[in-house]
Amino acid sequence: MHAERLACVECDLLQTLDELAPGDRASCPRCGHLLSSRAADGLTRSMAFALAASVLLLMANAFPFLSLEASGLESVMTLPRAALELARDGYGPMAAMIVAFILVAPGLMILAVISLALPLLRGRDAPWLVPAARMLFWLTPWSMVEVFVIGVIVSLIKIAHMADVHLGVSFWSYLGFALCFTFAMANLDRLEVWNEIERCSG
Amino acid sequence: MQRVSAYPEDSAAAQALASCHVCYKLSPERLHECPRCGSTLHLRIPHSIQRTVAFLVTAIVLYVPANVLPIMTTAQLGRSEPSTILGGVVLLVKMGSYPVAAVIFIASVLVPIAKFSALSWLCWSVARKHPTSHRQRTVLYRFTEFIGRWSMTDVFVVMILVALIHLVGLLVITPGAAAIAFGGVVIMTMLAAESFDPRLIWDQLGEADD
Repeated sequence: MHAERLACVECDLLQTLDELAPGDRASCPRCGHLLSSRAADGLTRSMAFALAASVLLLMANAFPFLSLEASGLESVMTLPRAALELARDGYGPMAAMIVAFILVAPGLMILAVISLALPLLRGRDAPWLVPAARMLFWLTPWSMVEVFVIGVIVSLIKIAHMADVHLGVSFWSYLGFALCFTFAMANLDRLEVWNEIERCSG
Repeated sequence: MQRVSAYPEDSAAAQALASCHVCYKLSPERLHECPRCGSTLHLRIPHSIQRTVAFLVTAIVLYVPANVLPIMTTAQLGRSEPSTILGGVVLLVKMGSYPVAAVIFIASVLVPIAKFSALSWLCWSVARKHPTSHRQRTVLYRFTEFIGRWSMTDVFVVMILVALIHLVGLLVITPGAAAIAFGGVVIMTMLAAESFDPRLIWDQLGEADD
């Protein structure tokens, strides 16, 4: 058990952080910024949720997301096709932005968590640890999984009076993905991940 | 040996120690590179205020077309009806969908304006060394960081409506230029929030009485 000297990222107060027991959290005494929050078996749980999330994300891309029936016509929407159609209609930048925020960034983050957890849980070093962790934390603000879920709900309410909307397999998969993704990230402590990387590579 | 530092005594910067912005490891700033993750070390984000203001101004400029131009056009039986963000909210209120109208209004109108005001106030207060509570300003900063992404809601709604209603012959919905402008607003405000260094707020400790 060692104590670590660090500075609060938000107010730069120099302080010593004792190693946290599982389930403990530490905040900066001056500005209240959460420095570290250690979940019990955080990395194992994070890995489990990340694995589930990766399967659900693949399913979310493979099946119909929503389908709509109006005056005898049926329209089926899948996530990749929705983006491709937007791009074909000349809205390439918009399609790229949406795909990046709801599929690519969260997908890469899930991959990063798995590729970090596999070696770290066994106490091994791997050449990709540092780049994977850097990518993970760089992408964090750009993943908009939960915002998209709210967007879907709003759209459903907007269309509901026009036609019959059916929720597809992909819709439920994405919802499950959003939950697993959130839990995977909530169990991951940035400071702990970097300390583990240092321990395993040092 | 001890030189008078521009930073408060209890800050890491006063000891020439920089906390890595990627992995939080504390290292002497003269190393220039974090020994743990290889990121460049800085005592403070370089040109933080200038960068924040630049992104903020870009976002505010983009906010004009985002509101004036249509976010989507609904075409039905040869009649096409463009609708703006605010127009969409008004329509939802007329239809009686108050909760949805509230979500769109908060995400697309209130959140961006709140972000513009909060970040402008933070930059101004740091540049002018305004004696507002440091803690309150830090909370304001966290709030702007947290709410930023939620304004993407309406852009996602447009994408779903366009994709879903595309194939049904009678009704065609196409996205409008405002959707792209609005996406730009969200990205710019997020970059502005990331460029702002909240430690600048605390660097004024001792200079002004709190």
